[in-house]
Amino acid sequence: MTTNTVVNVHNLEKTYGKANERQYKALKGLDFTVEAGEFVGIMGASGSGKTTLLNMLSTLDVPTKGDVVVNGHDVTKMRGNQLADFRAQEVGFIFQDFNLLESLTAEENIGLPLALKGTPSRVMDQAIHEVAETLSIADLLQKYPSELSGGQKQRVAAARAIVHRPSILMGDEPTGALDSTSARELLDLLTTINQKQHMSVLLVTHDPFSASFCQRILFIKDGQIGSEIKRGEQDRSAFYQQILNELGTFNE
Amino acid sequence: MLGKLALAGIKNRRRDYLVLLAGLTMSAAIFYMFANLATNRAFLKANAVINQASLIFGFGAVLLILITIVYIMYANSFLLSMRQHDYGLFMMLGATRKRIGELVFLETLILGAIATAIGIVLGLLMSQFLVGLLLDMLGLHLAHLSAFYLPAIIATAVLYVGLFILASLFNMVRLTRTTVLKLLHTDEQANQPKIHPFRQMVAAVLGVAFLGIGYWALAAIKTLQVAAIPLALVTITIGTYLLFRATLLVIIQGLRRTKWAKRHLNGFLLGQLNFRVYNYTRMLTIVSLLFAMALGAITVGSGYHRQLPLMANSIGTYTVAIHDKNTQEQALIDQLNVKHQATYTQKRQGKVVYYNAAELQQQPFELSKSAQLAKSLKHPKFYTESLTKFKKSGVQNFDFQSLAVRKDMGFYTPKILSAKQFAKQSGTTMTVTTVRVKDLVQDQKVLKRLNRMEVKRFALPEQITVGNYQSYEMMSGIFGGLEFMGYFLGIAFLAMLASCLMFKILSGAPGDKQRYRMLYKIGVRQSLMRRGIAKEIGILFLIPGIMGVIDVLFGLQMFKPIMASPMSPYLGIGSIFAIFIGLYAIYYAITLTLYWRIVLPKAPTN
Ligand SMILES: Nc1ncnc2c1ncn2[C@@H]1O[C@H](COP(=O)(O)OP(=O)(O)OP(=O)(O)O)[C@@H](O)[C@H]1O
Ligand SMILES: [Mg+2]
Repeated sequence: MTTNTVVNVHNLEKTYGKANERQYKALKGLDFTVEAGEFVGIMGASGSGKTTLLNMLSTLDVPTKGDVVVNGHDVTKMRGNQLADFRAQEVGFIFQDFNLLESLTAEENIGLPLALKGTPSRVMDQAIHEVAETLSIADLLQKYPSELSGGQKQRVAAARAIVHRPSILMGDEPTGALDSTSARELLDLLTTINQKQHMSVLLVTHDPFSASFCQRILFIKDGQIGSEIKRGEQDRSAFYQQILNELGTFNE
Repeated sequence: MLGKLALAGIKNRRRDYLVLLAGLTMSAAIFYMFANLATNRAFLKANAVINQASLIFGFGAVLLILITIVYIMYANSFLLSMRQHDYGLFMMLGATRKRIGELVFLETLILGAIATAIGIVLGLLMSQFLVGLLLDMLGLHLAHLSAFYLPAIIATAVLYVGLFILASLFNMVRLTRTTVLKLLHTDEQANQPKIHPFRQMVAAVLGVAFLGIGYWALAAIKTLQVAAIPLALVTITIGTYLLFRATLLVIIQGLRRTKWAKRHLNGFLLGQLNFRVYNYTRMLTIVSLLFAMALGAITVGSGYHRQLPLMANSIGTYTVAIHDKNTQEQALIDQLNVKHQATYTQKRQGKVVYYNAAELQQQPFELSKSAQLAKSLKHPKFYTESLTKFKKSGVQNFDFQSLAVRKDMGFYTPKILSAKQFAKQSGTTMTVTTVRVKDLVQDQKVLKRLNRMEVKRFALPEQITVGNYQSYEMMSGIFGGLEFMGYFLGIAFLAMLASCLMFKILSGAPGDKQRYRMLYKIGVRQSLMRRGIAKEIGILFLIPGIMGVIDVLFGLQMFKPIMASPMSPYLGIGSIFAIFIGLYAIYYAITLTLYWRIVLPKAPTN
C-alpha cells in the first residue's frame, strides 16, 4: 500500500441476515483502491450493492469479511467511539436525501463537524465562510433547511461534508433528488473541490451524465467489480459516450 | 387483514405500549384508591376525624379528575404519535378512511379498557397494603377501610372508560381528517419560531405583572377571602404562560449566538429546545402549576401535622383534667413533669356547679393570656388572679367552665361559695384535678395512658372535659388526615404530571430518531448523544420544576393566617422538597432511559 492510497479495499464481503436466518450475499469479494485526489465513480444496477459498499467504507455498517483501509486506518478493527471519530474526521458524506438537521440553520449545520472536533469558534466561522464562498451559499447561511430549495440544501450538505477537510468525500446518489440544472451545479462543485483541494471523491450513481464527471468508473455487478473504465485525456462528452457504451455491453 | 397489520405494528413497539399501559394503569389505580377513601361510607363513619376532612376529600377528587383528564389527553397523543405513521401508510396503500377510523377507535378503546381493568385490580391491592402503610407511617389508625368498595369501582370504571371513549373519538376524527402526507411526515416538521422583540417584551411584562398579582392575591388572602384562590389560579396560569413564551425563546436564541453554542452538540441542543420549548409552553405551564399544587398539598398537610406540638401547650390552661382521681391515676400524675396542679371539689345541682372559695383561695385557678396578648404561642403566659377578681370575670372563663359539663353538652354555671355555705350546699360531689405539664409532647406517653383511663372510667359528659392533651389528640387526628391527603394527592399528582411530561416528550421521540440517526452518520459519539439527550430532557423537566417551586414558595403565603406563629407554612419544607424532587428525578430517569432506547441509533454488528 502506497502512502497516497486513500481507500484500499481487499476481498470485501458482506452477507445480510444472521446465520440462522435467510441470508443474502450483497458483496462477494471486492478489490479496489482509490488514490489521493482521485474522482472515482461507482455504477451498477439497482440492488448491485453500491450503497452497501459505501456503508462499509464509511463504517455505517460492518463487513462480514475482508479489509477496508481508509487513509491508513483499518476500518474493520475499529470499535465504538473510534468509529464515530473516524466518520467525524476522515469522511465527508453527501446523502441523496440531504440529511440536514432541520432544527439548525444552514450555518449551524455546516459547522457541526467542526463543533464536534472542538474547533475554536473563530476558526470555525472562518472555515464556514470559506466553504460557503466556494459553494456560493454565503447568503443562505442564516436560513433553515425548510427554507431552502433542493439544490441549495444539497450544496449546504456538501459544505458540511467538506468543511472539516476529510480525506475522502463520499456521495450516494447526491444528485438523485435534484433537477438537471442543480445536479449539474453540484457536480461542477464536486469537481472544483476535487481539483482545488485535492480531495478524493467517491461518487455512487446510476446516472451516466453524473458519472461522466469522474476520472475513473467502477462497475459493480452481482456484488463484484465487473469492469472499470478511465477517462484519461478525453473530454467529458466523449467519456459520457464511453460510459453509455460500457453500460450497454455491461448490462447484457 | 388490516387488523393483522395493525397488530403487527403494535407488536413492533410493544415496549412503548407497555409504558403507556403501565402509566394508564397506575393512574386508574390511584384514582380507585382515592375514590375508595373519599366515598367509602363505612370508613368515613367510623372515622369521625376524617369525616371532618370530607370537604377536603371532595376538593381533592375534583383536582384528581381534572388532572386525570389532562393525563389521558397526553397519553393519547403519545399513542397517536406512535401510530399515525402506520395508519398513514395503510391509507396510502388504499385502506378506506372509514376502516382506519374504526381500527383507531377500537385500538384506543381496547387499550383503555385493559388499563382500567388492571388499574382497578391494582388499586384494590394498593388500597389493601399501601394505604395502610402510609397511615401507619403517619401514626393514624383508621378503622373499616375495606379495599373492596363497589361504588368506587363503578366510579373509576365510568370515568376512565368514558374518557377513553372520548379519546377514541378524538383519535378517529383526527386521523381521518388529516391528509395522508401529513401523517407520513409529521416527524420531519420542526418549525422554528421567530422572535418578535416588541411582542416578546409586552408578553414578558404582562407575564410578570400577572404573576405578581397572583402571588399578591395569595399573600393577601386575609382581605380577599375565598376570592384569592381563583384569582391567583387564573393570574398565575396566564402569567406563567406569558413568561415562558416571552423569555425561554429569547434566552435560547441568545445562547445560540454565543461561543458556547459552537461546541460539540450544544448548538444542536439549543436548536432542539428552540422549537420544542415553544410547542411545550402550554404543557410546561400546566405541569408547573400541578407541580406546585402537589408540592403545596404535601407541604401544608404535613406542616400542620408536624407543627401541631408547637402550639399544643397553649391551647388551654391545663393539660388534663381528672375527675375523682384514684391511686392509679395519681401514680401516673407523679410521673409527669408537673408545672401546676390543683384539685377542686365540685357540688353539682340543677344547672349550677358550686366551688369552695377556700380551695380557690388556696390554689387559684390558672388563666392564660390570650394568643394575641402573649408574645408567642410557643411560650404562653400563665397567671392567676385574686379571688375577688376571679369571682367576677374568671367564672366566665372557658377552661374553668369546661370542668363541669352537663348531659346536654352545655356547661354548669359555676358559682363560688364561702367554705361555710359550700359545706351546707347539697348536690352530687366530686373532685376535679387539673394538671399542667411543662411540655405536653415530652410527657405524651404517660398522658395517653392517663387520658385513656379517665375516658374509660367516665361515660359522657365527663369524658369530654377537654384538656390540652385531648385537643391535641383530636387535632392531631384531623391534621394527620390532612397530611395523609396531602401526601396522597401530592404523590398522585406528581406521578401523573410527571408522566404527562414523559408522554409529551416521548411523543417527540419518533421525530428525533431521524435527527439522531443523521448525527450518528456524521460521526457523533454515542456518549455525546446520550449526554445531549440527557441535557435536553433535563431542561424540559427543570423548567416546570423550578417554576413550580417558586409558585409553592409564594403560594404558601396563603396559609400564613391559618398557621399562626410559632407554626409556619415554611417550616421544614426542605425535607418535603427533597422527597418530591427525588420522585421527580425518578421520572426524569425513566423518561431519559426510554428516550435513549427509542432514539439512539444502534451500532451495526455482525
Ligand atoms: N439491511 C439489509 N438487509 C438485507 N438485505 C439488504 C440490506 N440492505 C441491502 N440489502 C440487499 O443487498 C443488496 C444490495 O443493496 P444496495 O442497497 O447496496 O443496492 P444499491 O446498489 O445501492 O441499489 P440502488 O441503486 O437501488 O440504490 C440488495 O439486493 C438489497 O436487497
Ligand atoms: Mg443505493
